Amino acid sequence: MFNNDYKFRFLFLFSLALSGTLFAQSDEVSPERKQAIDSLALEKVRDLSKYISIIGNKKTAFSESSRVMDRAEELFSPGSEMGVSNLKNKEVNYYKVRKYFERLMALNYDRVSIKWYDIHYISDLERQPDGRYVGVVTIYQRFEGESDDGMKYKDTTKKDITIYVERKKTQIQGRTIEFWDVLLGDIRVTETGV
Amino acid sequence: MMLTIRNSSKLIVLALVLISAFGCQSKKKAMQASNAAAEKARIEREAADKKADAELLAARKAEEDKAKWEAEQRAKESESRSSTPAVKVGQYFSAISSSSNLGSANASINEALTLFASPETPVFIVISESGGLKDYDKPTTIKDYLNYLKDQKKNINAVSSVKTDGNGKITELELRKN
Repeated sequence: MFNNDYKFRFLFLFSLALSGTLFAQSDEVSPERKQAIDSLALEKVRDLSKYISIIGNKKTAFSESSRVMDRAEELFSPGSEMGVSNLKNKEVNYYKVRKYFERLMALNYDRVSIKWYDIHYISDLERQPDGRYVGVVTIYQRFEGESDDGMKYKDTTKKDITIYVERKKTQIQGRTIEFWDVLLGDIRVTETGV
Repeated sequence: MMLTIRNSSKLIVLALVLISAFGCQSKKKAMQASNAAAEKARIEREAADKKADAELLAARKAEEDKAKWEAEQRAKESESRSSTPAVKVGQYFSAISSSSNLGSANASINEALTLFASPETPVFIVISESGGLKDYDKPTTIKDYLNYLKDQKKNINAVSSVKTDGNGKITELELRKN
């Protein structure tokens, strides 16, 4: 009786361990697939860069800015914040991304130019115990604002963006699609200079 | 005796004259026959040349007709290809992403939307494929994707496949990263 019980427990634990291993294997992604995911995440950062440039541009119509703000907001995980700094004040203020976009659109300049460059990973996407991939991308932002009355402001800010990538499923027209959901997290200011 | 010799001489001369005349006639006949054969050969040669020319012309015409037919077929195929929904969609993607002003980009978006069953038609973007397993970006709708092209001004995904309904309107679009 004891022997049978022992055998049952052993088989149960063995099959549990085996299924766990198989599950873990099925979640593994090949280097080629991982590279595609890395590229996808970087592309989302570049997309955000373009959206910020459109929102900040004083020539953009209000209706277009609002639409672009919606699209830009969709890139972030809920509750994400954006850091804002300037040369006069060393303190960094953080705003919810929607608030940040609205402030950006309302900046008191007649011409605004915002460009992101040198976009690269400083921490590769790594799989977390919860199955999500998390990484950090750094960007440099060049801001230039100019008013008709001669007021000018320029700075360059280095910012770190946390990236979350998660495998999700959705049903569309009766078809189940598995996809990689890339979401941007908080954007932290790490350096501010001329 | 003398008379006999004289008569014989006359006969000989007459015979020679007759022989000569007969010989000339034969020669004339032979020449005539030779001329007829040459004429016949010339006519035959001319006929053969004409036939060869006609055959050459016919072959050239057949070649020209074939080339014309092939060109027409190619034009038809090209026209057919350029009128497929996938090609049209690709052309709109290119036009929207390269548009220099908002007005023309929006006009192209509205035109492109007429190809689709609805502005909410799903768009699937394949970011990688290996061993029959496709990795997708987050699905979007055609309206949002066309606006994305307008905003980002980059056309980095090619049309991979389309599904259409009975009216020829696109009900599903799959793109692939270039």
